[in-house]
Amino acid sequence: MIVDDLFALVSYRVHPEAHILVNRDRCADCSHRACTFACPARCYQWNEERGKIDFAYEACLECGTCLLVCERGALEWNYPKGGYGVRFRLT
Amino acid sequence: MKNYDAIVVGGGPAGATAAWSMANKGLKVLLVERGDVAGAKNMFGGMLPYCPVAEGLLPDFWDHAPWERNVVKRSLTIVSETSTTSLAFESDNFDTAPYSGFTLFRPVFDRWYAQKACGAGATLLTGCLAEDLLFDGKAVSGVKIGRSNGDVSAPVTIACDGVLSLVGQKAGLSKPPRLSDMALGVKALFRLGEEEINERFGLVRRQGATQEFLGCTEGIRGGGFIYTQTETLSVGLVFHLDSLKESGIPPYELFERFISLRPVRRLLKGAELAEYSAHVLPEGGYEAVPQVFTDGLLLAGDAAGLCYTNGLNQEGMNLAMASGFLAAETVVEAHGKGDFSARQLSSYRSRLDESFVLRDMKTFAKSVELMHNERLFSIYPALVGTIMEEIYRSDGRPRKKIGRLGWDAIRAALPVKQVVADVVKGGRSIL
Repeated sequence: MIVDDLFALVSYRVHPEAHILVNRDRCADCSHRACTFACPARCYQWNEERGKIDFAYEACLECGTCLLVCERGALEWNYPKGGYGVRFRLT
Repeated sequence: MKNYDAIVVGGGPAGATAAWSMANKGLKVLLVERGDVAGAKNMFGGMLPYCPVAEGLLPDFWDHAPWERNVVKRSLTIVSETSTTSLAFESDNFDTAPYSGFTLFRPVFDRWYAQKACGAGATLLTGCLAEDLLFDGKAVSGVKIGRSNGDVSAPVTIACDGVLSLVGQKAGLSKPPRLSDMALGVKALFRLGEEEINERFGLVRRQGATQEFLGCTEGIRGGGFIYTQTETLSVGLVFHLDSLKESGIPPYELFERFISLRPVRRLLKGAELAEYSAHVLPEGGYEAVPQVFTDGLLLAGDAAGLCYTNGLNQEGMNLAMASGFLAAETVVEAHGKGDFSARQLSSYRSRLDESFVLRDMKTFAKSVELMHNERLFSIYPALVGTIMEEIYRSDGRPRKKIGRLGWDAIRAALPVKQVVADVVKGGRSIL
C-alpha cells in the first residue's frame, strides 16, 4: 500500500495543544461518521470499545474537510498557532 | 497598539498582490502569514494562467518569478473500465511569451512574491496567525494576531486567508458553505527527473503539460490531474465533498486506485513519491461568491470564493492575484477619501464585476450545474469508451455508420429524454 508512505512524507511542527477540538457528545450518535473516511490524513477513527471518535490532530493537513462534512457542529475548528502545523516543502 | 494604513491577512497570491500594490502607492501595509514562510501552507499543484496585473507590479514579471514550466500542452483523458480516450491539445502559439500558463511550486513562488511585497515597503510577519478581528462599532478596525503584543490596527483589512476564510466568517461575510459547493483536492508530488518528464510528455526546454482525467473517480463527482513541474509531477484527484461523503470511500484509497490506472501508472513508472497534501477548494462558482466587502474589510482570492472550472479551464490563482490588485486599488481610493465604510468599499465589487475575474465566473456560472451532473462522471465516460471501441474494432462484422453506432450505444445506456436534457443543459453551460 502506498497510503502509509503518503502519510510518512508530510512534515509538521506539532504544537502541544490540539487546534481542533472534538465535542464527542455531539458525535456519539452520528449516522455517517464521514470524518473517519473523508479526512485525507486519516486523523479520525471510530473507537468501537469506547464508543467514541479518536482524533489525532498531529497529522492534520489543515484542509477543512472534517469541518465541512460534519453537519452537527461537533468541531471547534481553528488553524494551529502561527508557525505550527503542516509545512509543505515543495508540493 | 501598532497602526497601519492597511492589514492583509494571508501571504498567498491575493494577499501578496494586495500588499505589494498598496505599498507601491505609499501605504503603510502589514502582511500577516500563519506559515513560517509564505507558501508553507499551500498545496496547489496546478497551473497559474497568465495574469495581467503581475506586469503592473514588476515589468518582466515572468522573467523574474520562479515558475517551473510554461504550459503548451493540455490533455483531457476519459477513462472507462477497459479503455481511455484522450483529447490532446498543443500549440506553437503557446510556446512564445507571453505564455498562457505556468506550473509552479507555491512554497517557492509565494515566498518570492511576499518578499517582493516587502521590498516595496510592506511589513511581513510570518508564523503569525490572525486569531480574531477587532471592531470599532460594526466596522473592522484591526486584527488580533498571535503574538504577545498582539493587536494591530488599521482602518481597513483585506482577508486573503483562503477558502475557509475564518476571518471572513468572523465578520459575518462568509457563510458556512454548502457541502456541494466545496471540493477536496488530494495530491502527491512525484520526483521523476527533467529529461524523463520531457521524454514521457513530449516536451523540450521549459515546456510543460497538463492532463485532466474524467471517469476515474468511481462515479464520485470529480476528476484526476497530472501537472508537470521541472523535475516532478503533481498527481491528484479533486472530489465534490457531498459526493465523496456519500461514497464512503477514503480519498487516499481513490488516489491509490487512480495512480494504478494504466495511463497514469505508465507516466509514473520509476517515479519517487516526494510529498502528499490535501485541501478543500471553492467550487460553487459565481452564484456562491459571498458579499466581498463590509465596513473596514474586503475579501480576496479563495476567501471570496473566486475560483471556477468549466470542465476544461480551472482557474483560481490568477483570479486571486487580480482580486488582490483590485482590493488594493479600492483601499488606496478609500484612503484618498478617508472613508472606509461599506458604501465606499463597495466599489471593489464593481471593479470585480468589470474585470475578467467576475466576468469569467459569470460566463461559466451555469457550468457549476454541469459539474454536478452525476452522469458526467459515470455513465458518460463509460459511453465514450463503448463508442470508441465500436468505432475502432475490426471483427469481420459489417460496420454501422458512426452516428448510428453512437445513437445505439447511447440508447442502450440511458433514456433518450435524459440525454437530451443533459445535452441541452451542458450546452447552455459552456457554449
